Amino acid sequence: MTTISEELLASLKDNGADFFASVPCKLLGDMINLLGADDSISYIPVAREEEGLGVCAGAFLGGKTPVLVMQNTGLGTIVTSLYSLGLFYNLPITMIVSHRGSPGEKIGTQIPMGRASRPLMELMGIPTFNFSDGADVAKVGRLVSHAKAAQKPVVGLLDFDFWGKG
Amino acid sequence: MSYRRYELLKDLAPVLDGQALVICNIGFPSQELYEINDSANNFYMLGSMGLSSSIGLGLATTTDKKVVSIDGDGSVLMNLGTLSTIGNYAPSNYVLLLVDNCAYGSTGDQPTHTGGSTDLAAIARATGVAHVHECTERDTIDVLQHCLDTEGPHVIVAKVDAGSPKLKPIPMDPGYIRDRFRQAVNS
Repeated sequence: MTTISEELLASLKDNGADFFASVPCKLLGDMINLLGADDSISYIPVAREEEGLGVCAGAFLGGKTPVLVMQNTGLGTIVTSLYSLGLFYNLPITMIVSHRGSPGEKIGTQIPMGRASRPLMELMGIPTFNFSDGADVAKVGRLVSHAKAAQKPVVGLLDFDFWGKG
Repeated sequence: MSYRRYELLKDLAPVLDGQALVICNIGFPSQELYEINDSANNFYMLGSMGLSSSIGLGLATTTDKKVVSIDGDGSVLMNLGTLSTIGNYAPSNYVLLLVDNCAYGSTGDQPTHTGGSTDLAAIARATGVAHVHECTERDTIDVLQHCLDTEGPHVIVAKVDAGSPKLKPIPMDPGYIRDRFRQAVNS
C-alpha cells in the first residue's frame, strides 16, 4: 500500500514536476525523505524559503518544472521575493505548503500564521487552494499545470486533515 | 584611481561574454553590466535581494554550460544560508562571484560587516566549497578565466573599492529578460 506522501510525489511528477527544493516541516517529513531518495528528479534542500524560491526560479530558467516544498510559516518571510521575483517575472513555481495552524493544530503559536496564510497569498494575487481530504491527493499535482497556465507561482495549502493527522 | 565594481565588470565582461550564463545582482550591478555589455546570456535580477546565488545554483543543475552568479557582500549576507547549500549541492559548472566592496552600494554605501571582522572566503570554505579564491581588482580577470576553464564549484571573493557611477534603470520588460535568457540557456 502506498503512503499519502508517495501519492503526492507521484501526482506532482505525473503533472511534469521534475525539480524540487524543500524547507523542513514535520508534516512533510516523509515527502522530503522521498525527494532525497528519488533519482528521477533534481532535488536541493535549502536553508530558507526565499532561497528555495530562488533555486526554483533558476531551475525554471533552465527549462525545468520546479516545486517548492515548505511550511506555511515561511510564507511570512517569502513575501518580498514572491512579489519581486516570482510575480514580477511571471514564474510558474508550484508551492506545496503544509498548513500548520489549521484545525488539528496543537501548538498555539502556529495558529496566527495559519489563519493569515490564505488571505496573505490572496492579497498578493497568488492562486491558492486548500486541500483538507487525503482522498484528493491525486488532484494536488494539477497545481503544476495550473502554475504553467497562470504563469505565476501557485500555492497548495495541505491542511492537517489532508494528512490524516488532525 | 579607484577600482570599483564598475571597473571590475568592464574588465570581466570580455571573459564572461559567450563563455557563461550570468545571473546578475539587483540594483547597480545589473545596471552596470547592462550598460557595459548587454547580452541574452545575462539575467538581470531586478528585485529579490540576496537570491542571485540561489537562482544561479538552480540554473546550474539544469545545464552543462558554465553559470556565473554575480553577487555582492551585502546581498549574500542577507541570504547567508545559500553558502551552506552551495557547499553541499552546487554542481561543478557553478561559479559564485562575490564582488566585495564592503558597502551596501545601491543604498548609499553604508558599510557592511565585511569591512569589519567578517571574512566571506572563510565562511565559504567552512561550508565545504572546495575551490575558494580571494583576489583584488584586475587579478580577478585571470581567476575568473581559471574558474571557467576548470571543474568547480568555485567561489570568488573579489575585493574592490566602494562607489558606483550614476546609471539609469534597465529599460526592459521583465518578461523579455526572462524569455530572452531562457532561449539563451537552450541555444
